[in-house]
Amino acid sequence: MSRVLFSFDGFRRGARDGMPLAVSIFAYGVGFGLVAAQAGFGVGKAVATSAAIYSGSAQLAAVNLLQTGEATLWALFATILVINARYLLFGATLQPWLWSAGPLRAYGSLLLLGDANWMMTMRAIRSGEVDRAYLAGTGTPVAVGWLSGTALGAAAVSVLPRPEALGFDLMLACFAAAMMTAMTRTRADLLPLAVGAGAALAVFQVFGPAPAIIGAGLAGAAAAALVHRGET
Amino acid sequence: MSESFPVLLAVMAAAAFLCRVAGFTLMRFVPVSPRVEAALRATPLAVMAGITALAMQGGGLAEGLALASVVGLTLVLRSDVAAALLGVAVVALLRWAGL
Repeated sequence: MSRVLFSFDGFRRGARDGMPLAVSIFAYGVGFGLVAAQAGFGVGKAVATSAAIYSGSAQLAAVNLLQTGEATLWALFATILVINARYLLFGATLQPWLWSAGPLRAYGSLLLLGDANWMMTMRAIRSGEVDRAYLAGTGTPVAVGWLSGTALGAAAVSVLPRPEALGFDLMLACFAAAMMTAMTRTRADLLPLAVGAGAALAVFQVFGPAPAIIGAGLAGAAAAALVHRGET
Repeated sequence: MSESFPVLLAVMAAAAFLCRVAGFTLMRFVPVSPRVEAALRATPLAVMAGITALAMQGGGLAEGLALASVVGLTLVLRSDVAAALLGVAVVALLRWAGL
């Protein structure tokens, strides 16, 4: 395997791009910390949960399940698996690019994989980013924001206004809308856009938000594969 | 539930880790033909369109206007990060105005 670029420069580029994400993730970290504190988690347990799962929606579901007092280990495992199933898709799309960095760097970078920095990295790859350290770069400020936010929230330091008042709940969607616009270069790109939006809305009606994202990705991928011309 | 917190934590971490690495690992055994490459290239666009569509449907007028302005601003400013951050400011402003 030829050595591909994995440099501090690429990491720094990613970290710079990830900064704005970190601000809103921090606010949500505070939110999770407050919920965890109400569920009887101390600061240590709350931060450990944020580090171990590192996914807001899955953590909230897990804490809710634990609060019922009737959760089994299997139920806990399955809940996180279902809510985070979209990461299977994210990992698969990163593979051809990331694998060439070598297993240690690739799997290490995947620990910092989240929704927003996945979008950001796929966008950068499309614009020709070759430095594989970019992914870990985008993930690092986000992780710092998430963990420090969790700690503050769990310590009941709620100095921030609610994330909704700052529009932070729409941050991920705003990045999605901006990046899909920037990535749409040819008419062929309009097909996955239309199919993805349609599939998300249809799947959402029946199965809810987590499967809707997976449905969008799979339907868009299938549509692009079907219309692909040239050698198979 | 009688399990100790470290056990719970380990189970939760295992599930989250599995999701992060399984798709990546399985993809190593899929030969990337031009057709598969087209599918992989389309996936982020489809997911982003899905996230945007769900936010539009779930939101009200403020959210719809903000997301529409993000699309327009990206084309005008040629910076998606700036457009996204402005979109967040737009929705915060519209909500503050009571929309």
